[in-house]
Amino acid sequence: MKAILITFDQAHYDHIIEILDRNNCRGFTSWAQVSGRGSNDGEPHYGSHAWPSLASAIITMVDDHRVDTVLGRLKALDDERPKLGLRAFVWDVEKSI
Amino acid sequence: MSLYGSAVKRPIMTTLCFVAVVILGLFSLKTLPIDLYPDIDTNTLMVMTTYQGASAQDIEQNVTRPLENVLNSVNDLKHITSKSRENISVITLEFEYGKDIDVLTNDVRDKLDLVSSSLPDDAETPIIFKFSTDMIPIILLSVQADESMPGLYKILDEAVANPLARVNGVGSVSISGAPKREIHIYVDPVRLEAYNLTIEQIASIVASENRNIPGGAFDIGSDTYSLRVQGEFASSDEMRDIVVGSYDGRNVFLRDVARIDDSLEERAQQTFNNGVKGAMIVIQKQSGANSVEISDKVLKMLPSLQKRLPSDVKLGIIVDTSDNIRNTIASLVETVLYALLFVVIVVFFFLGRWRATLIITITIPISLIASFIYLAITGNSLNIVSLSALSISIGMVVDDAIVVLENVTTHIERGSDPKQAAVHGTNEVAVSVIASTLTLIAVFFPLTLVTGMTGVLFRQLGWMVTIMMIISTVCALSLTPMLCSLLLRRATHHGKVYNALFGPVNRGLDAFDNGYGRLLTWVVGHKLITIIICIATFVGSLFLMKHVGTEFFPTADDGRLSVNLELPIGTRVEIAQEVTERLVRQWQEEYPEIKVINFTVGTASSDNTFASLSDNGPHIVSMNVKLSDPGLRDRGIVEIAGLMREDLKHYPQYKKAQVRVGGNMGAMGGQASVDFEIYGYNFSETDSVAQRLKRALEAIPGTADVNISRSDYQPEYQVDFDREKLAIYGLNLQTAATYLRNRINGSTASRFREDGEEYDIKVLYDPEHRTSLDDIENILIYNSAGKGVRVRDVGKVVERFTPPTIERKDRERIITVNTVVQDVPMSEVVAAAQEAIDKMDIPQGVSIQLAGNYEDQQDSFRDLLMLAVLIIILVYIVMAAQFESYTYPAIIMTSLLFAFSGVFIILYLSGHSLNVMSMIGAIMLIGIVVKNGIVLIDYISLNRERGLSIRRSVIDGGKSRLRPVVMTTLTTILGMVPMAVGTGQGAEMWRPMGTAVIGGLTFSTILTLLFVPVLYCVFAHNGIRNARRKFHKSLRSKK
Repeated sequence: MKAILITFDQAHYDHIIEILDRNNCRGFTSWAQVSGRGSNDGEPHYGSHAWPSLASAIITMVDDHRVDTVLGRLKALDDERPKLGLRAFVWDVEKSI
Repeated sequence: MSLYGSAVKRPIMTTLCFVAVVILGLFSLKTLPIDLYPDIDTNTLMVMTTYQGASAQDIEQNVTRPLENVLNSVNDLKHITSKSRENISVITLEFEYGKDIDVLTNDVRDKLDLVSSSLPDDAETPIIFKFSTDMIPIILLSVQADESMPGLYKILDEAVANPLARVNGVGSVSISGAPKREIHIYVDPVRLEAYNLTIEQIASIVASENRNIPGGAFDIGSDTYSLRVQGEFASSDEMRDIVVGSYDGRNVFLRDVARIDDSLEERAQQTFNNGVKGAMIVIQKQSGANSVEISDKVLKMLPSLQKRLPSDVKLGIIVDTSDNIRNTIASLVETVLYALLFVVIVVFFFLGRWRATLIITITIPISLIASFIYLAITGNSLNIVSLSALSISIGMVVDDAIVVLENVTTHIERGSDPKQAAVHGTNEVAVSVIASTLTLIAVFFPLTLVTGMTGVLFRQLGWMVTIMMIISTVCALSLTPMLCSLLLRRATHHGKVYNALFGPVNRGLDAFDNGYGRLLTWVVGHKLITIIICIATFVGSLFLMKHVGTEFFPTADDGRLSVNLELPIGTRVEIAQEVTERLVRQWQEEYPEIKVINFTVGTASSDNTFASLSDNGPHIVSMNVKLSDPGLRDRGIVEIAGLMREDLKHYPQYKKAQVRVGGNMGAMGGQASVDFEIYGYNFSETDSVAQRLKRALEAIPGTADVNISRSDYQPEYQVDFDREKLAIYGLNLQTAATYLRNRINGSTASRFREDGEEYDIKVLYDPEHRTSLDDIENILIYNSAGKGVRVRDVGKVVERFTPPTIERKDRERIITVNTVVQDVPMSEVVAAAQEAIDKMDIPQGVSIQLAGNYEDQQDSFRDLLMLAVLIIILVYIVMAAQFESYTYPAIIMTSLLFAFSGVFIILYLSGHSLNVMSMIGAIMLIGIVVKNGIVLIDYISLNRERGLSIRRSVIDGGKSRLRPVVMTTLTTILGMVPMAVGTGQGAEMWRPMGTAVIGGLTFSTILTLLFVPVLYCVFAHNGIRNARRKFHKSLRSKK
């Protein structure tokens, strides 16, 4: 089991859910509005007057063999719309109930 | 879930909601009546008290003054004016506009109850009479007749007036100029005396002969019969054979002492249509009824009425007030449609995409149509004010949608799906969209709070625009994102046609952006010079203010003139008629524009309500002139009125002559006039001041028709009876006076009935026996013993002058000198007159005050200035709340200065004067102009928050906001252009408003785009410097 944290521009939400569905990743937890900014470039997502856009975050636990497909799909989505911003981070899940 | 979120999620519900609104709106539109102005409640009450036999001065002292003193304490009273004439006192109470007249009527009634016990015993109970615009006739019909002339009254009464009076909404129909049938028994006084008879005896005999008396019922066998005596005359000839007395044992018949004249009433009003004698039918509406509807019904009936008339009787239309209303509304509807077209073109030009254009322009019909629902619910009508509101709003309702669409497009271009972009893009701008709508509401909502006549007019404008703004904002936050999500595409491929068409446009717009960027860079680098130039322009424009005159309302050309002419008192009606016929012939030749010219002369009979309410008499001529439509003639109505006044100067027969533009409509639309009120108790002193003032006014250029309200002393014959002598003969004054009246005026003996109509039978002296003073002195008066005595034996006939009507205003005697203002602004005439008055030597106790239109104008201007201040404060509050700053709104507010400069400059250049309409335009500017500043400052401060330097923020911000600013400004300006250049009927009214907005907006936008960024730089630098200084200070203090 791996955990994937996906942080992305709000506008991506529907597409990401679709990617998860297609890869049989049923479970996830999402935060509808989070703020933050990228490490290198892209507009900050603060929900403020100057930077009005906002981001969302989804954390999902997937089987190991699915991680690459999911990441590949996410990368494709990000490349398609580079200005919106989408990042995903993967780490191990040590235990769960 | 937010409004826009659910709207995008549920497109069907959203669409249908708006479809429902549109359907409701269109349904309301169908039920809306058409009118010229919003319903203006009457604000005047008249209190009429008759006191038979009292002279003007007695009336003033004993009736008018006590009443005035009590009525003066009624609430909301603006002015109290009164006219004390012989026998009658008429008090007019003028209240503040917009008060409930029914409540006031009750107040007045209560006050009258208080005072009625202290009035003279013989005075009748005061009558309260409501006067409103409903009293003004809506249609005047002309009737021409040849052979039918003698029986015209009856024909018209039966075939025209009665059917018309049955039309729903028609109040009263009066016929003037068609004398009624009357049967005269002309008595020869000499024969009467020979047979020892009196007029009173004859009258009572005629009355007792002309009777039908039921005799009861009686039974014959098994049947019951009723018994009657049918004694009424079947024809007037029968009267000749009445036995009126006996002399020397022989019967004296009526034919022996009198001749029977079955003809028309002696003194009647005569009417001439286009120089031909005829009649006039006056139609008034019921109060609250709609004139256009009624006139439609009446006009539809005319052909069928015409069929029922004898072939020589022709009906025609002199005045149809609804004509003007219909034409005015039609030309205003045209204006609205043009505005719509221009706005669509501007949007398409700037956006270059038909889908985007469609999304934005769809908000226009929705907001406009939704406002009809408001009109229908509140019982208002489609009128000048509500339609102007539509025209004004067209350019503004698209603004919110444009902002939303722009942001959604940006999101889509960044890669969002249209659906997501619509929600998030709208979310980002929702607050600023609402804030900018709030600034506009801050401008228009206070309009609903204005009092006075301006308030009555502009309340509707305020509500309409406020409602349309709210609807457009709701639309921009729901319908617009929904449509964006459905219609906008991520990747737009432009076709060849697009590139060919919009390639140059886009290049041009880019070049425009860059040019502005360079100019802005220069300006920001030369702050001092820019500020100096801008302030100099502003100050310079203030000097123009002196050259822009002021007036109350512009004069509207409704193609109607009314002319009131007065010959010296006592002139015979034939002379008045002859002179006027000559005048009419001259005018018909000189002015081919005249379509119908009609005049009425003579004393109105008391049962003609319309005529008897207006001034009438043998020497008074009132004339209606109808000109062809304004579009069809070269000369304007004011010019024609001016020429007519010149013509009238060549008719010295007329003592007073008045040419009024726009009929008798009063303040709105008519030509401006100034009243000078001369207060003072002493008749001769005030008379002389009035005469001097009249001469002074006539010398001032721009005045015309200078008239003094107080009429001349009226010459008349009075019989002074010697009471002692009367007593000797066993007579009293009343008997003696009644004898005089019966012989000259006649005594109505009975009524002659024919075909269900009744005609008066009058007994009086033969006309040839009442032509000299001798005839009066020879009248025989009989006492109860039957002994006769001549008038000359018991009294004297003397010629006297009765004092004129005593006019009072606010409980002081007054004479009004009135002048029409022609060709120049009212303010110039007032200034010149004031100068002349200052030079005049005015006796102690006499004072002169300005009133009339000028007073109304001053009141309105004061109200509007107060309103402007209130609006500026409100707008400031909204902006300060939005920016969370005191300085930024102040910077934006400076653009207002240029807006007002712009108004003055364009008024000066176009030769318009400052009036209520242009003031309203200027007030609207407060909201519109400030919006540009908000867009600019908002984006500049956004840039700064993103970390750009002040200079960069200003230049980049300016460059990127140029298009939205220019676009919204252009939509507003082009929306106003049809108003400003309109030539249709009534266009004079709203032209100043459109011109003022265009001038102010253009000028202020240009200067705002340069001045506001510079000021921002200055203040931002200062802000940073102060912050740094504070920071250093705190560092130092910490050390």
